[in-house]
Amino acid sequence: MGTRHLITGQNNCAPDGGSSSNPFGTLANTLLGQSSKAESLKGLPGASVNVPTTSDYSTAPLSTLPGSENEFKQDQRPFARGADFIRGGPANDWVESFRPPGHSAFGGPEANFAEFEQIYNNAGPTLGPALDGPPQRVLSGVLHSFLSSGRAGVPFQPVPVPALGLSEGDKQCIRDRSCIMARHILADQPEEYIQAQVNTLLHSLDIDNNHRMKNPLHGPYPEMEEYWNQSQSALRSGPMHNAANNWITEFGNQNNNPEGWITEFGKQNNNPEGWITEFGKQNNNPAGWAHSFEQQYGPNGWASEFEQHQSQMAMGQMGGANMANLAAMQQSRMLAETLSSNNDPKFQNSKFFQFVSKMSRGELIIEDNQVKQGSASQSSGWADEFQTQHNANANSWADQFVHEELSQGADNWVSEFSSEQNQGGLNEKWVDEFSKLKVDDWAEEFSGGAFGESSADPWADEFQSQLSASKSSGASRGVYVFSEMNPYVGHPNPMQEGQELFRKGLLSEAALALEAEVLKNPDNAEGWRLLGATHAENDDDQQAIAAMLRAQEANPTNLEVLLSLGVSHTNELEQGEALRYLSRWLQNHPKYGGIVPPHQTDSPYGPDVVRLFNEAAQMSPEDADVHIVLGVLYNLSREYDKAIASFKTALQLKPQDYSLWNKLGATQANSIQSADAVLAYQQALDLKPNYVRAWANMGISYANQGLYEDSIRYYVRAVSMNPKADNAWQYLRISLGNASRSDMIAACDSRNLDVLQKEFPL
Amino acid sequence: MEGSKLKAARLLEQMSAHLATDAGKEIANKVGFVYQLNISPKKMGVDEEIFVVDLKKGAVSTGKYEGTPDASFTFTDDDFLAIASGKLNPQMAFIRGKLKIKGSISAAQKFTPDIFPKPAKL
Repeated sequence: MGTRHLITGQNNCAPDGGSSSNPFGTLANTLLGQSSKAESLKGLPGASVNVPTTSDYSTAPLSTLPGSENEFKQDQRPFARGADFIRGGPANDWVESFRPPGHSAFGGPEANFAEFEQIYNNAGPTLGPALDGPPQRVLSGVLHSFLSSGRAGVPFQPVPVPALGLSEGDKQCIRDRSCIMARHILADQPEEYIQAQVNTLLHSLDIDNNHRMKNPLHGPYPEMEEYWNQSQSALRSGPMHNAANNWITEFGNQNNNPEGWITEFGKQNNNPEGWITEFGKQNNNPAGWAHSFEQQYGPNGWASEFEQHQSQMAMGQMGGANMANLAAMQQSRMLAETLSSNNDPKFQNSKFFQFVSKMSRGELIIEDNQVKQGSASQSSGWADEFQTQHNANANSWADQFVHEELSQGADNWVSEFSSEQNQGGLNEKWVDEFSKLKVDDWAEEFSGGAFGESSADPWADEFQSQLSASKSSGASRGVYVFSEMNPYVGHPNPMQEGQELFRKGLLSEAALALEAEVLKNPDNAEGWRLLGATHAENDDDQQAIAAMLRAQEANPTNLEVLLSLGVSHTNELEQGEALRYLSRWLQNHPKYGGIVPPHQTDSPYGPDVVRLFNEAAQMSPEDADVHIVLGVLYNLSREYDKAIASFKTALQLKPQDYSLWNKLGATQANSIQSADAVLAYQQALDLKPNYVRAWANMGISYANQGLYEDSIRYYVRAVSMNPKADNAWQYLRISLGNASRSDMIAACDSRNLDVLQKEFPL
Repeated sequence: MEGSKLKAARLLEQMSAHLATDAGKEIANKVGFVYQLNISPKKMGVDEEIFVVDLKKGAVSTGKYEGTPDASFTFTDDDFLAIASGKLNPQMAFIRGKLKIKGSISAAQKFTPDIFPKPAKL
């Protein structure tokens, strides 16, 4: 459906999946102010969520928001729709859409099709389209024969076509859409073939394909391209195209070099050392930035110039379609803010809150009664960088910026850029939004030159307070973040399934199944515990901590949970928390609880805790668990030799415990015995081949020994098992740089596993 | 570094040990600058602790550098960790006011995640 929308450039999909009496629909209607549309938002949470991946019809049915299956009806027909699409219903729309407005009163698409069939028959064995008649008909004919050759699987034969007098806009439009269309109808063909076909088509229509070549089909940011193409259909014509297109291309190119924009900045300043030097040269301190800014624009220059630009611009023609979404986003952002002030973790994890906050972040947009995945969640490159910093809070500057940009789409960027050429069209909402964002503070800040010394610099303060505010909201520390698409929601017994998957070592799948379980039974301590353990093995301590905290809430005395929390906090270098949980382990132990003096403080003293554990170990030297906790405690106090001894003792009692082998290895690695560490990790991996954490640790060991090439292979293995292992991705990037493999950094940044796995097999 | 509650202290302890290894020495040789780090637990400039990463000598110490460091950085504990682990690009941190730099820019540019060891996870 997303694809159909993409191709047709129209919002003509029928609403589906809606159950008629949905109170959420009414609520959302009120909240989101979409009432201008005649239909009400019947199917809000149940409506299918579309991901704009294009050609993948095989992964039917993409599930909806977590939990929604149980309560709402779901669209059961994605497959049928895909097939329908291939069969050519929308293909007619496609051809249709090439007609300039005014010619569309041509008869229904079916009638047209019949007409073309007739033309083919008359044209004899060459199957060539009619070469005379009005340009529309010729064009349609060519496109239809392109389509049918695609369907028949034969190469498209170039046909001589008289000059059609297409405008630049039309050409652009044909170019973009034929590329997309070709990708669909020739989905099973190699990329070169598709390219060749499109080239042939474009050549016979006398359309220069150079733009396409500069901006290849599978660029690093396909979403960007798609968005761009979509926005094209809205623009259709206008001289702004070429400039804007070049800009997009440039954007793409620069992203191949992840620091491209900075470099570019440097180049523009004719200074090879880049922006930072530029500033340094001017004033020899960072305040130079502020000064040079001031020199150019005056104290309030930036803000006022910005506003000036905006006010010159009329409501853009392309703004309209997105206005509703923007408004909805603003509304939901406000709602999300209100909601997020409620600190109840249950509420924070609730489906409704997640839904609203996704809306507010532009990850979901409402369009024609359908909840769609917005482009914000697909943001890449620098936008991503912004976003990850902020962990999607509802209110920060960068976030806001990202959302405006991405959910509004390329449009605003384009207009912003083209406004320099005095062609503009930007909706005023954005301006308002921007001026609300304390642009004045910025300007003041710049004129104050506070980039230098003052430690109470208000800009930084502002930033800090916004950041800390963000920490108390949605996706912050300690709050579990659920996956967006979960096929296990609605599974009859996700707990059993999760345990089975965990046992098999399919960790990412197990996490999904267990998420489904804890969505169903939020008080299932064992479900949360296993989910936490899964994340720990998958090398994600943040999520492990979040899940373990929920497990602890449901069962405050579970020893495994307390130990896991201690271990994960140790990994995050959070000594105080780690010590607290490990000390609680002893307090809550049925056997050793007695040796703990009453009235323990909440910030225990490390050496005391170690002493108590040593007492426990003397009480029962055969208890491996005590030695494990001791090993972790010695890690905290950096007494690595003792830690190694404790883990080795524990291993004699529990030689099959793969996580114990990993703990031994990690301790050895952190005490600069990386070679021994590799042996221990290998033991862990022999016992559990899908142990992502051990793979990542293996990479770390090699990297810390300066063996970057080797480390890359292990990191790649880790991220291919768990593509969400952010730490491993970051380390991979560092190792690529150190191994002088900058050529693969683009693949790393776009998380292109295929390329990386091929390049770095293990 | 023993007494410090900062996460940075834990990483810098590991760095200190790592600089004694062959790989660590190679890094020190490649960079060869002295960096002073002013790290605060939560808010920049508040309750600052000062560390010196001396990649001329290959050593890490606490307290102000005697003399002039090639570059000094001011950030919070979390932001330092994010930079050291590659999560946050130093330029980005600078632009966003999360990092203040004093001193030589060419020295500052070599302050990257590459120079820090990566902690293994239990």
